[in-house]
Amino acid sequence: MTLNRSLFLVLGALTIAVTPPGASAQEPLFERDVLPVLTKQCLGCHGGLRQKGGLDMRTMALLLKGGKHGPAAKAGDADGSLLWQRIASDEMPPGETKLSAAEKALIKQWIARGLATESQTAKDDDLLLAPGVKHDPRVVAAAIDKHIQQRLAALKREAAPRSDDIEFLRRVTLDLNGCVPTGQEAAAFLDSKAPDKRAQLIEKLLASPRFGEQLGRTWREWICPPELPSDMNGGAQPHKQAFGFGDWIGKQITKGATWDKIVRDVLTVDGQIKDNPHVIFYSLVGEGGKATPDGSARATASFFLGVQMQCAQCHDDPYRNWAQNEFWALAAFFGRTQGDFNTVTDGKAPPNMSKRGPKLPIAKGAEIVIPPSAFKNSGKAVQAAFLGGKSLDPAAEKPLRPLLADWVTAKDNPYFAKAFANRTWFYFFARGLVNPVDDLRELNPPSHPGLLKMLGNEFADSGFDIKHLVRSICNSEAYQRTSRASMKQDRQSIAAQTAAFGRMPVRVMTADVLYDSLRQVYGDPKLDLRADDAKGAAAMGQAAQIADPYIEFLRRFGTNEDDTTDFTHGIPQMLTMINHPRLLSGSKALDAFRKTNPTPEQTVEWLYLSTLARRPSASEREAAAKYLANSQNSYVGVLWMLVNRSEFLFVR
Amino acid sequence: MAMPLLHRRDLLRLSAAGLLSGVSVPWFEALARASVGRPRGKSCILLWMDGGPSQQHTFDPKPGGQFRAAPTSVPGIRIVEQLPQLGQCMRDMVLLRSMRTEINDHYDAKYLLHTGYRRAPGFEHPAVGSIASHQLAAANSDMPAFVTIDAGYDLRLDGGRSYRNVPGYLGPQHAPLAVNDPARGLENLRAAGNDLAARLELLAAGERGFSEEYALPNVSARQAAFDRAVRLMRSPRARAFDVEAEPARMREAYGNHRFGQSCLLARRLVEAGVSFVEVFHRGWDDHDGAARNMAQRAPWLDRAMATLIRDLKDRGMLDDTLIVWMGEFGRTPGNGDGHFCNAWSTMWAGGGIRTGQVIGRTSETGRNPGSTIEDRPISAVDYMATLCLALGMNIRQDFQAPGQRPVPMVDHAAQPIRELLS
Repeated sequence: MTLNRSLFLVLGALTIAVTPPGASAQEPLFERDVLPVLTKQCLGCHGGLRQKGGLDMRTMALLLKGGKHGPAAKAGDADGSLLWQRIASDEMPPGETKLSAAEKALIKQWIARGLATESQTAKDDDLLLAPGVKHDPRVVAAAIDKHIQQRLAALKREAAPRSDDIEFLRRVTLDLNGCVPTGQEAAAFLDSKAPDKRAQLIEKLLASPRFGEQLGRTWREWICPPELPSDMNGGAQPHKQAFGFGDWIGKQITKGATWDKIVRDVLTVDGQIKDNPHVIFYSLVGEGGKATPDGSARATASFFLGVQMQCAQCHDDPYRNWAQNEFWALAAFFGRTQGDFNTVTDGKAPPNMSKRGPKLPIAKGAEIVIPPSAFKNSGKAVQAAFLGGKSLDPAAEKPLRPLLADWVTAKDNPYFAKAFANRTWFYFFARGLVNPVDDLRELNPPSHPGLLKMLGNEFADSGFDIKHLVRSICNSEAYQRTSRASMKQDRQSIAAQTAAFGRMPVRVMTADVLYDSLRQVYGDPKLDLRADDAKGAAAMGQAAQIADPYIEFLRRFGTNEDDTTDFTHGIPQMLTMINHPRLLSGSKALDAFRKTNPTPEQTVEWLYLSTLARRPSASEREAAAKYLANSQNSYVGVLWMLVNRSEFLFVR
Repeated sequence: MAMPLLHRRDLLRLSAAGLLSGVSVPWFEALARASVGRPRGKSCILLWMDGGPSQQHTFDPKPGGQFRAAPTSVPGIRIVEQLPQLGQCMRDMVLLRSMRTEINDHYDAKYLLHTGYRRAPGFEHPAVGSIASHQLAAANSDMPAFVTIDAGYDLRLDGGRSYRNVPGYLGPQHAPLAVNDPARGLENLRAAGNDLAARLELLAAGERGFSEEYALPNVSARQAAFDRAVRLMRSPRARAFDVEAEPARMREAYGNHRFGQSCLLARRLVEAGVSFVEVFHRGWDDHDGAARNMAQRAPWLDRAMATLIRDLKDRGMLDDTLIVWMGEFGRTPGNGDGHFCNAWSTMWAGGGIRTGQVIGRTSETGRNPGSTIEDRPISAVDYMATLCLALGMNIRQDFQAPGQRPVPMVDHAAQPIRELLS
């Protein structure tokens, strides 16, 4: 840990030492100059999809960490840097295309001059908004845009143009209400001439109970592990309870509860699940369907504080500066919490943590004993303490979780507001200001430090008002930019522009949103896309696996929650959309519309509005008419075509 | 033979010009065909007996045990007399009789034996099938890399929750494609409605427009996936999912049992380029003793597995196809009524490994023969390392788990069973 810190200082010193004042505009910078080359030449094998040789080159921190042969670059020493050695000798990249002489020169110079990064050189610590007061959302939106504009200017990049009304309507409806707009809603918005119709739409969507519902299930997705625990339930996974948790968060938001209130309720809940659906939080993040102190601590750190502590559970974490002690000091707050799928309560004794190991001394008061599963320091007693703060009185007998909740949700907690702001930003832009979203720390600085600080302040100063934060973001120009990317534009510059929030990304609908959208356009609340043979599966002992159409849909169409731009569907999903008979067997919503005796033209228009939130183009009208001219074909074939369009699945 | 492999980006570009344009481009078809073959590499058929099969009622009989030992085609190696056809295949088989895997709980053991790791809170390790998909499969094949086949259960369904193969940090593209019933094949493979061509044509123009307006990697990835699905529907290889296409004689040879038909389907899939097939048959948790249940299972088990070995051999595929038969643990020596992870057996066949031998030895004498290992204990990580090596993977590599955490493909402490690998 100390080693890393001193390395950081050395790097910083080198950068200063070798960068002549005033020359910085010409200096190669990681984000602006180097990353595009790496993206083109290296990230295919050393990036998100593959990490050959254990090397991931996407961020400065990862480069310094390096792969199995050691760090990829040493500041100031090109010849001693693996990155330079490999590209200079043309050993890398292994294909036929090698780096050009100019690219090589750039990288050599960048290493030799000390690995300068944009985030080191940018001076955007000016918050633009005074802390301590809640501002008008339009003022916050303008400040967001100013922060982003400053960064774009520093990167010498233009922002993409504003989205058109169709893009905006569909995007904001999917994001805030989790479903495509109905045909009627789409037509009304597109035809409105009100100058502030976008702001109006945002208000309307925020006022709908669907806003809370969508945010609630998004949090459920983030919190629920990929495979829910089932040990407590005769093998059945607690899907119902997990959905109940998402619904509960949604209802709190709809009732106007602030984020600190919601988190306090989760951290202090005591009782039965029938009165408190959020009881399930503890067994979801615990082990084997039971609450564990370490599971509760990991989840609290990740979801509410935006810090990763899973490594520190077993050893000091050299990348994140967390000592193992600090992890267990946090876990000690949950040391007496006992919970399963039905209840959570603080008992007198800690839950049995000595499974598969020697008997441990019983923890007293506010302390916890590190269990054998940690493989280091097992048996050591640790006092409850707030992260980076003071320990509690060892004799404290009062309930510990409320004390922790006080600290977590305090206005001056250094993590709480930023963590929520960063996750919310990630939700809209598919990229946090800090990435991964729960990895706020010194060596992993935000791309826009001032912006994150400002959003954190504003969120705290608004009393953790969720809608205020969302309203501010959605009213910004940054959120309202187009996601269009023409073939003429260079891929790298599109990627860099998007990463700097100068253009909106194109995201993939989550399973929840896709299911709700399909249910709406087919007018079928129980839409069932399971295979025929799955319906009899309950009788074959697979009840929990595929007995419910909604659960099975979520399992099948699940997306990558760490990267919502990542297209993850494969053959089973495609075949379901292409060939499942249900998608060709009629839509009640369509039938209802047909009862108004529309013309064929109007019906096609309604289908387009209900799925893609726009009217068909002239050629699309013509193609649909041609298709429908064949007496064997019908409107549901057009609907099939629309839900199979990329334009339907993507949030653009 | 070296397959000409297309660069991923090239294929995506080609795809934009391909199926969705509604025009068949001959050079595209040719290139696409060339690119979809599995490069020379091994494949694996994992036969998973869920609940824990008894070693003494299969491959490690003991004197005075409930099942009698019978000689096999390899002098000196004996297995139970209830498996005569497998006995005749012994030259192509290896018995691993010294499994020692430390976990006697169903689910935790299933996890361990599928991943090579103990279950850890808040973390999912990839299943070996997903690792094979990641390591062995050709990109852009029109066949999936990893398929699971549910072979059902016979007597009753016990043995705890089924393990669900997860790709973990390798990414969802390495999740298995599940066949729920071998007789029905892959769901949704056949077009609904009779106007598919007209609908695809209607779709194509819009897709072209969208990909021009949104020239982004995820958009082309989606269009490529759509093309692959349509290609699979139209591909002669997709017939591999249909066991009905097999001659009646062959279907008969594998046995008129869902397990046999699953083995046949597995063979067809491997032949069509699938890298890893897991056939799972459930309900092997014989708490009332293994003898009666095993006597019922033995005929279809023997027939299906022996036919699978012979069939692969006849087709010249046995050296490239590793068959692995196992459960999450064995059963207590004697009547087999309990879980037993201290000394149990698995069976491997084919795969170009050194067959016709036995690895490890359990005790023959004492109050309870077979309760201890006398030679070469095999831990779960040793086992996983050997399996990955036998499939031709480099086991000394790390995957990147969330939190920038490197996780070795197989624990570095593993000692592969070298005497198995040629």
